[in-house]
Amino acid sequence: MSGPFANLKVVEVGELASAPYASKLLADLGADVVKVERPGVGDRARRRGPYPKNEPHPEKSGLFLYLNTNKLGVTLDIFKPEGMELLERLVADADVLVHNVSPPDMDRVGLSFERFRKHNPRLVMTSITPYGLTGPYRDRLAEELTIWSQGGLTYLNGAGPDTREIPPLKAFGQQAGYQGGIHGAVATVGAMMAQLRDGEGQHLDVSVYEVCASQLELTYVYWPYGQRVASRLGAKPVQPLEALECKDGIIFLCCIEDHQWKAFVELMGHPAWTDEELFKNRGRRTANWDAGRLFVQEWLNEQTVQDLYHKAQAKRIPFAPVSTMGDLLSSDHLKARGFFVEIAHPQAGALKYPGPLFQMSRTPWEIRRPAPTLGQHNREVYVERLKLSDAELTQLKQKGVI
Amino acid sequence: MAAPPLAGIRVADFTWVWAGPYCTLQLGYMGAEVIRVETRTRLCVTRHMTPMADGKAGPNRSGYFNQYNQNKKSISINLRSAEGRAVAKRLALASDVVTNNFAAGVMDRLGLGYEELRKSKPDIIMITMSGFGETGPLREYVAYGPAQVPLSGLSALTGYKGGPPLHVGFSYGDPNGGVHGAFAVLAALYHRARTGEGQYIDLSQWETSVAMVAEGVLEYQMMGEQEPERMGNRDHWNAPHGVFRTKDMAEKVAGRSIDMWVSIAVASDDQFRRLAAAIGRPGMGSDPRYATFAARKQNEDELEAIITDWTSTRYAREVEEILQDAGVPAAIVSTNKDLFEDPHLNHRGFFVELEHPEVGVRKHTGPPWRMDRTPNGVQRAAPVLGQDTDDVMTRVLGYTAEELAKLREAGALN
Repeated sequence: MSGPFANLKVVEVGELASAPYASKLLADLGADVVKVERPGVGDRARRRGPYPKNEPHPEKSGLFLYLNTNKLGVTLDIFKPEGMELLERLVADADVLVHNVSPPDMDRVGLSFERFRKHNPRLVMTSITPYGLTGPYRDRLAEELTIWSQGGLTYLNGAGPDTREIPPLKAFGQQAGYQGGIHGAVATVGAMMAQLRDGEGQHLDVSVYEVCASQLELTYVYWPYGQRVASRLGAKPVQPLEALECKDGIIFLCCIEDHQWKAFVELMGHPAWTDEELFKNRGRRTANWDAGRLFVQEWLNEQTVQDLYHKAQAKRIPFAPVSTMGDLLSSDHLKARGFFVEIAHPQAGALKYPGPLFQMSRTPWEIRRPAPTLGQHNREVYVERLKLSDAELTQLKQKGVI
Repeated sequence: MAAPPLAGIRVADFTWVWAGPYCTLQLGYMGAEVIRVETRTRLCVTRHMTPMADGKAGPNRSGYFNQYNQNKKSISINLRSAEGRAVAKRLALASDVVTNNFAAGVMDRLGLGYEELRKSKPDIIMITMSGFGETGPLREYVAYGPAQVPLSGLSALTGYKGGPPLHVGFSYGDPNGGVHGAFAVLAALYHRARTGEGQYIDLSQWETSVAMVAEGVLEYQMMGEQEPERMGNRDHWNAPHGVFRTKDMAEKVAGRSIDMWVSIAVASDDQFRRLAAAIGRPGMGSDPRYATFAARKQNEDELEAIITDWTSTRYAREVEEILQDAGVPAAIVSTNKDLFEDPHLNHRGFFVELEHPEVGVRKHTGPPWRMDRTPNGVQRAAPVLGQDTDDVMTRVLGYTAEELAKLREAGALN
């Protein structure tokens, strides 16, 4: 058995999360991915942690190690003309090129679909950029925080009606980057289906800004449907849907459907207050939750998190504990499903990584190799595949191209 | 002209709420015919949720439903009746892909399990996007998108410095599980196109959410089993890095201050020098307290106070423009209204404005990508409940008008 993308050839020119995550998704399902990094410094993710014992080291960044499993790594300076020529050769027999080079840098080095397509009409090229390849913001600079914020997600989080002086809060990590990557991968495989059918590739323009704005749940539509601004300071559309304190920690309460609320009322021993007019239905309960919360809190003060979590789930109420990293790594459920996989890396050692994102009955997810060290596969790719001579390789090295 | 990437692919869509519908939305964008199976007696919860068009309630008036079900068809089947379940099975077998986000085992109980379907159609592709997956001790547990945020570890990592774990403000587990589900289905379709084989996909929304905090999971191990610290909007590797007050907030509309902020993320010493010059403090660029990343990290409180002094006397959009012109990553913290009006998104054709039979034309968001060869996007507004029942029953499933009438009478369709 081999992955659904075995035989697929992918070239990635990516930094940080978006393009690297897109090509990791393909690589972990069997694709042959050659990752192109800048000579000397490599992917920016190498210069962000986490690192073992918090000591920065370009081969030991947890972010880099996770995002680049199963890839071959080469160095190549696309800012030099010889570098772009070499990239052209790499892409000439690839099925897919995925990159997150910014539009101004694309212009600068001449990285364009037209250029590659001349030699490879089957190519699917996926450009994942902060604002997309057109429009007034095309050339703007962006980082994870600014694109998550511009995309409307930061505004929804943090503080509350009584603490409006506290700034809205970004989600942890590289969420905009990851989402840019997975949405880019979805569009890429769509284009690969058309490539199989038509024998022709195409250019995909994926905007991370639009990816963020695609995930606003019910908050975006508050404007076109009701001319209202949805805010972190406003009321929730349904309650209870929030984290509250138990005796020994925090539990996340979640009653979205009426049967869940009814089951929760039962679990609490059907206290009299729940029969009051104020809490009679979803709308009333939500509107009067300031009062309802006080009653629930009184009951929660006597509960412990794990006990309540399992008791609630036994009644099909979707409550959840606040998992720590330690909780996740020691979860019997995740262990039984083989979710975390141990991967040994020559420099960073053996660590448990999040593994298969889903289980396919016929085509396996598998780790064939850990993330590459910088330039680890230069010889394999340039000499064995592109048939450069040792002399040419040396010359390119001297010129700083690889 | 080329056909859409997924032209000719039919999806029998048994999903509901947000995760599953977000999955099939992606497939619909690329031209798959997505037929949503609904039941009048147990409506999708998003058909009940606010906002309702112009504040008037009704199952076809929900912005939430109408956003995430664009392009889809709706067939209304009574899954409690045996005849209804037979119709559902016929639809599943007339499809390439069957999707659902029920808890483990539900599809089997409806007679729509994978083993049952593949007997008649060996190359069928089926995906279940449950909260916890189909195996493991917690497989019967239920999880909704908002609860996935604490469950996945994302809450433990998100929050203000020294404060409690917080949410991320939306049901992140849903779109994240859904879009990974779309990727899984596409991988299976690609495999089928090459080999003729179908397969079954078991997706756990919990696992797709945990993958989004891989950095945290690795940090814990790399730091000798120490839980990572929450740090608000700050970043371990960049500074300054935050969300700052603006002058907008000094102004009041209807007695309330305007909640308008700006985000700034400096990623290099060079960008910091540009920032320093842009805020009229060029000396800071070479000041040993701020010139290097390590120094800025050391003096971050003071640095943030200086930036706040500057931002709070300017409008958010003004800050964004000044800093972008200076070569510093900065952006307003957009509201839904900002997005709706944004010249860039409007210029790029991100929005879709199609006529819906009950709520008229509303501006929805479309796919976050453009394809330059194959058509894709939104062809049709979200369906009203049961809008396509007759069409699907006769054209797709081949029932005669007489059979259709009988099934209606028997209560199989509702």
